[in-house]
Amino acid sequence: MSTMTEERLQGSSRAALRAEKKAITVGVAGNPNSGKSTIINAIAGTRLHVGNWPGVTVEKKSAIFEYGGRKIRIVDLPGTYSLSPYTQEEIIARDYLIHEKPDVILNVVDATNLERNLYLTVQVMELGIPTVVALNIYDEAEKRGHTINRRVMEDMLGVKVIPTVATKKIGLDDLLKSLLEVAENPSAHCPKHLNYGDDIESAAKMLETQIGLTPLAEKYPPRWLAFKLMEGDSQVSGEIKPDDSGLSVSKAVGHLKTAHDSDIESIMADARYAQAFGLTREVLQKTESGNIELTERIDRIVLNRVLGIPIFLAAMWFVFKLTFDVSKPFADWMSAMTAGPFKGWAEAILGLIRAPGWTVSLVTDGVMAGVGSVLVFVPVIFAMMFFITFLEGSGYMARAAFVMDRAMHTIGLHGKSFIPMLLGFGCNVPAIYATRTLENPKDKALTALLVPLMSCGARLPVYVVFIGAFFSAHAGTVLWSLYVMGIVLAIIVGICFKKTLFKGEAPMFIMELPPYRRPSFKSLMIHTWEKGKHFLIKAGTYILAVSILIWFLLNLPWGVENKKDSYLGKVGQIIAPVLEPIGFGNWEAASSLISGVIAKEIVVGTMGEIYVAKPEDEKKNPSTFSEDLKEVGTSFVHAAEDSAANVFSTVGISSLSSKEDEKRAGLKAVIQKTYTPLSAYAFVAFVLLYMPCVVVAIAMRQEFGTWKWFGIAFVYQMTLAWGVAFLIYHGGKLLGIGG
Amino acid sequence: MGATDILLMGVIIGGALYLLYRSVWKKKGHCSGCCSEICEMNKKYSSRC
Repeated sequence: MSTMTEERLQGSSRAALRAEKKAITVGVAGNPNSGKSTIINAIAGTRLHVGNWPGVTVEKKSAIFEYGGRKIRIVDLPGTYSLSPYTQEEIIARDYLIHEKPDVILNVVDATNLERNLYLTVQVMELGIPTVVALNIYDEAEKRGHTINRRVMEDMLGVKVIPTVATKKIGLDDLLKSLLEVAENPSAHCPKHLNYGDDIESAAKMLETQIGLTPLAEKYPPRWLAFKLMEGDSQVSGEIKPDDSGLSVSKAVGHLKTAHDSDIESIMADARYAQAFGLTREVLQKTESGNIELTERIDRIVLNRVLGIPIFLAAMWFVFKLTFDVSKPFADWMSAMTAGPFKGWAEAILGLIRAPGWTVSLVTDGVMAGVGSVLVFVPVIFAMMFFITFLEGSGYMARAAFVMDRAMHTIGLHGKSFIPMLLGFGCNVPAIYATRTLENPKDKALTALLVPLMSCGARLPVYVVFIGAFFSAHAGTVLWSLYVMGIVLAIIVGICFKKTLFKGEAPMFIMELPPYRRPSFKSLMIHTWEKGKHFLIKAGTYILAVSILIWFLLNLPWGVENKKDSYLGKVGQIIAPVLEPIGFGNWEAASSLISGVIAKEIVVGTMGEIYVAKPEDEKKNPSTFSEDLKEVGTSFVHAAEDSAANVFSTVGISSLSSKEDEKRAGLKAVIQKTYTPLSAYAFVAFVLLYMPCVVVAIAMRQEFGTWKWFGIAFVYQMTLAWGVAFLIYHGGKLLGIGG
Repeated sequence: MGATDILLMGVIIGGALYLLYRSVWKKKGHCSGCCSEICEMNKKYSSRC
């Protein structure tokens, strides 16, 4: 008996312990660019992608952390302006709140734009889930002379309201305490029912009563469900089929329709806007500063109808110039190290363990030449990601989308479609996923087809090798021309698609322009790392794998003397005639382009492997380990000095035309012998435009549930790449340039 | 070239192919480091949108 009691006690204490340890789930909802991900990063120590532009978070992401002895699972939802089922973000956010029922909703409100943000807050209140409101970016609101009476706001909404500045970690402790308090005593913190007027309320009440008699009351918040049925919400009506559930919706809304002579959705939207407007009037006090704000002053210039696009193009050119200036000395350093000391160390280690001769060649001529050729460009990629992150964080990227709006309208899209395209400059894969921010399925498909024309970071290594070999004096401008070529061709291709596959009117779009902000250095570093590490992981996974396979393909059949007779060489020779008319009909180029299908930077890796064993490139450096270490350290210091000097240099791209470069024989030297400037430019244009890499193909299949769009992208891009390269090569020859 | 060399080559090629399958195909085009629930959400909603 005593044992059973003891067991029961133990059992109950375990249950209590389990209950005590149960994680609190917090769903974070708010308008785009209100700082949801920044708040989560600040309180949970995560590194979710944040950016000073709307639509950065397109899916829900979660993090778990401990506070006050409790585990908190915080779920970052995509930013939405409402909880209507029109966009995928709205559906994802709404379904999570309804079906997963978080313990607390954290509604992040941009305090500088209170009324618009409160429209969503009013809808969150309808769910009846305990809520805490974070008045984020409160410091900027105060700077603008806005004062928000949070006590009045708390009284009106019935929920806790906490001012926060997530970027400076201000108010976060109060916010966490409030979340715990609300989770532990939810009934005391349920939001108030906001009164939408007698007509709406009586219709809703009638439906609520009917819902209360069905099992639906346990699945959905009754008041919210009543509103959605009244509005004729297609998703909810499809899910519950009101007629089958015995709900007489038409009877409930009959009077409302007659009295207001409008559709119910508009009546409900008006009622919610009225609440948001009324709340704002009650709690917000504005002091007129009389000064034109900095954001407006900058926008008068960068959003100017005439100057907008030239400024955008100039900003891009400046980013590319800085990217090269800052990163090139480090890239040179990495190149010298992989070809020198690192290769020597690998050979020494393999010699010590008496590895077979072919494995030494596999590691040095395969893995190190292949992966090393790509790793050399990691500094360039990181520098580029740093500047893109800076532009995102400053708020300029949203302006870039705005100034491109008119150009986008010519192809039947709007400025919002340019945001996934801008993301494509980093990597095309997230850009494909970002197309889900577009409401119209046709816009999504067309944007996804154009995204691969945006030059991603993976193509940079190819450009850098060829530009360094032929156009070092104008490196920044030539690189810029490739990015502009991608944008211009996207517009032309878009017009063609709009007249054939995607006929229809361009939808109207109102773009939200966030204020300019100075991104913090820490945030810049974190997000540069998050973007750039993708390329490091690629180097350690599929670039490594492909380098190994390419080495075998270059050495099989076993004992082959000339690489031209290897399996890869033979495949390259079959394809080479197709490339002959566009200026690079050699098997080396063909083989590199085949391997680049896996990832574009592998083009350089394969070239590194193909050309590595040429006798004139072999340079032995007999030195001791300590000498090597000294060389690694001192050359790195020199690279850092050169990089710093280049930032302040006012004369061209000095680093790319350095004497060291001219002297160094390597991949560039072989390329200089194989190509002419014209065929080199045709080659990089081909790399920019030819089929999307395999990962983008899979992302397209994933996003659209069919291979159809990838098939279209494959066909049009291959045709476009060949056509453009042909025009460049033969057009240039006709004009007598670069031949 | 002995049997050991051929075996070692087979293991290396097999490993490389598996690495390629795992990183490119199995992850279904996700960026490395992506820890979101994008797959399930997309499966759920792609038919509707």
